[in-house]
Amino acid sequence: MNKNAVYIALAGNPNAGKSTIFNALTGSRQHVGNWPGKTVEKKEGIFKYKGGEVKITDLPGTYSLSAYSPEEQIARDFIVKEKPDLVINVVDAANLERNLYLTAQILETGTPLILVMNMSDVAESRGYKIDEGKLSEFLGDVPVVRTVASKGIGLNQLKEKVVAFVEKGATPSSHSVEYDQDIEKEIDTLSAAIAEIPELTNIYQPRWLAVRLIEGEQDLVNEVKQTPGTKHLLDASSQSHEKLHRIYGDDLDVAIADGRYGFVHGVVTSALKRSIEQRLTTSDKIDKVTTNKWLGIPIFLALMYLVFNLVQNVSAPYLDWVDGLFSGPITNWTVFLLNAAGSPKWFTSLLTDGIIAGVGGVLVFVPGLLVMYFSLAFLEDSGYLARAAFVMDKSMSALGLHGKSFIPMILSFGCNVPGIYATRTIENRSARTLTGLLIPFMSCSARLPVYILFGMAFFPSHAGTVIWGMYVIGVLVAIVVGLILSRTVFKNTERGAFVMELPPYRMPTFKGLIIHMWEHTSGFVRKAGTVIVAVTVVIWFLLSMPWGVENPHNSYFGQVSDAIAPVFAPAGFGKWEASGSLIAGFIAKEVVVSTMAQVYVGEGAAGGPSEPTTFLQDVRDIVVGFGDATVSATKELLEVFTPGITIFPAKENEDRQTALSRALQNAFTPLAAFAFLIFVLLYVPCVATVAAQAQEFGWQWAAFSVGLNMTVAWVLAILVYQGGRLLGLG
Amino acid sequence: MRGDTLMPLTMVPVGVQVRLVDIRSGQKLSHRLAELGLTPGIEITVVQDAGGPILVAVRDSRLALGRGMAHKLIVTPIHQETSPSKQSL
Repeated sequence: MNKNAVYIALAGNPNAGKSTIFNALTGSRQHVGNWPGKTVEKKEGIFKYKGGEVKITDLPGTYSLSAYSPEEQIARDFIVKEKPDLVINVVDAANLERNLYLTAQILETGTPLILVMNMSDVAESRGYKIDEGKLSEFLGDVPVVRTVASKGIGLNQLKEKVVAFVEKGATPSSHSVEYDQDIEKEIDTLSAAIAEIPELTNIYQPRWLAVRLIEGEQDLVNEVKQTPGTKHLLDASSQSHEKLHRIYGDDLDVAIADGRYGFVHGVVTSALKRSIEQRLTTSDKIDKVTTNKWLGIPIFLALMYLVFNLVQNVSAPYLDWVDGLFSGPITNWTVFLLNAAGSPKWFTSLLTDGIIAGVGGVLVFVPGLLVMYFSLAFLEDSGYLARAAFVMDKSMSALGLHGKSFIPMILSFGCNVPGIYATRTIENRSARTLTGLLIPFMSCSARLPVYILFGMAFFPSHAGTVIWGMYVIGVLVAIVVGLILSRTVFKNTERGAFVMELPPYRMPTFKGLIIHMWEHTSGFVRKAGTVIVAVTVVIWFLLSMPWGVENPHNSYFGQVSDAIAPVFAPAGFGKWEASGSLIAGFIAKEVVVSTMAQVYVGEGAAGGPSEPTTFLQDVRDIVVGFGDATVSATKELLEVFTPGITIFPAKENEDRQTALSRALQNAFTPLAAFAFLIFVLLYVPCVATVAAQAQEFGWQWAAFSVGLNMTVAWVLAILVYQGGRLLGLG
Repeated sequence: MRGDTLMPLTMVPVGVQVRLVDIRSGQKLSHRLAELGLTPGIEITVVQDAGGPILVAVRDSRLALGRGMAHKLIVTPIHQETSPSKQSL
């Protein structure tokens, strides 16, 4: 076997621990991209061993290879058309029967496979005794490895088996599913017809394709129709369907699925012994409480409140530190170095007022985002997120949606773009579109910096509540808009079927959480490094044009913003600085804060009090500052988990005023600031979200969504401001 | 609960084990459910009924089923099942 050409695919059900196995095999040698023409994530990695290296592709997690969803189609096409030399099939040992259904389908493709029985510790704790030898034998001498990937158990044996395969090769399993006699007869007829068409046999195994044609898999039927010389086969296929219809009625495809389960059941019966008849697992016992009719929703709301409090409390101490780092030492030293190098004044200004002020303004919020993504990853990996969807299903039905729509919405608290793509798990087309229209009202992490900034500047003692309130308002608005849309635009929508697996609860691995958190946060940071730098530079130029303009208000940027400003006057923020940052925020909400930093403080930051400091002094301040921030973040963290008990008495009112918040306090009244926050919460999230909507639902819906967001945001901001004034708050 | 009764899954109390007889819904959905393990003849236990969706245990996995769909799953109580006389619902 040619060692360089070996290509391995990793397949398995969702929640079987596939990504942990992938990470263990490839380490950091990974590449994340997209499947061609799809927005489904494609992960590839290199597995290195003593004698060489092998490429591994991580297929999307699927329950079957039936091409119901883009994920399943990708997995099926990859195995059948790309023909990997080996499939590593990860199964959940505690849920063997359902997991082996996919295995049966992979066996049918004729690809050699290694079976990884993951989470075998859970299986043991439930009293399941699995005989690996028998399992291997009944699947047709497939190598079987027992692992507990989260604890690193069995991974070396897996690696050995992979190496053994690469070095010696393997023959595909001889065992496969046998269906009812009537079905088998038709499979034989169709296989024979397929075998005569080289255009098909080049790609497909005759028996595999025959089964799929009988199962009625639409995209394959169409493909056969488009292949020349298949008339005979198509005729034979419709004859077979007619014959089988007489026996099975409409349930022919169910009979085929049943056939696979029959095969699997046979394997499991001989290989697995259940020593304890356990009706309720620990996971079920937790579910008794968390999915309870009355407790479910309060528990969910309490958890979300805890998450947002964590984000706020941990962010606060680091904010000052990062802010000080950027406006202090980094700016000072850049100015010093540039001056020493004899850079022109405009370039120094571009770098410090533009790029450093802009990017710094955004990176300040990285600690908060880390906590946010860590918490979301925890909810997802622990299995709780699926419960939230279960609990919310009934409420969502009022909107004509079902519980599955809830998961994209929660993920949208991180970022709306993956939220839009996550709507794919919803089968019903109009339910998907409606979910996609409501997602922008879910407050993403890019909006968080604005809340934190304004919250601390205007409502210092209630910042946490204001931030939490923004998320709640976003959800409430989504509910009202959803109610209206489901009774007007989507009037005749059926909400479609709600079926979803609730994976057993498990303690997420720390490593997995860190990887998740890092992937998302680094995506944000990369954005800060590209889009935000670009926008910041453009805005810097627009602020400095016409060349030599003294007052930014007279710059191009100021003029355009000024022209738009009156639109926002009824909402209380009709100043050019505010409207300007909102225009920039259309590109990405991250830019709102950085633009504000530019227009409100820009000049001040560079010209500010930069007392001559030595490099060593700066370094010491940075380190001490970081230490202080960590100490207070830890204190805040402990306080969140011990509500009502004050472990550490509050320090005398800490001065958390940054230059920007002082400038904002001069420009906004608290009421206008709140109206501004409402507008930021509700208007178009960013260009990327609109593009994702266009890709998923078409341009008309994307345009509809933009109009919807602008209208709702504008009307509500005005209502808040004018209403507040009537109540005498302004 | 009588032994030979056919009933929709929504009428089954929490903790009771039943056998799936039929799924009265479109072909596509029946196939999907079959692939997830809900094949005719399989044993199902209702784990939770939250008023809206229902949580069932089937083949070691836990599936959430919307109430509308659970209503289309026709089941029969497991222990005293004898001749399934075609009784209307």
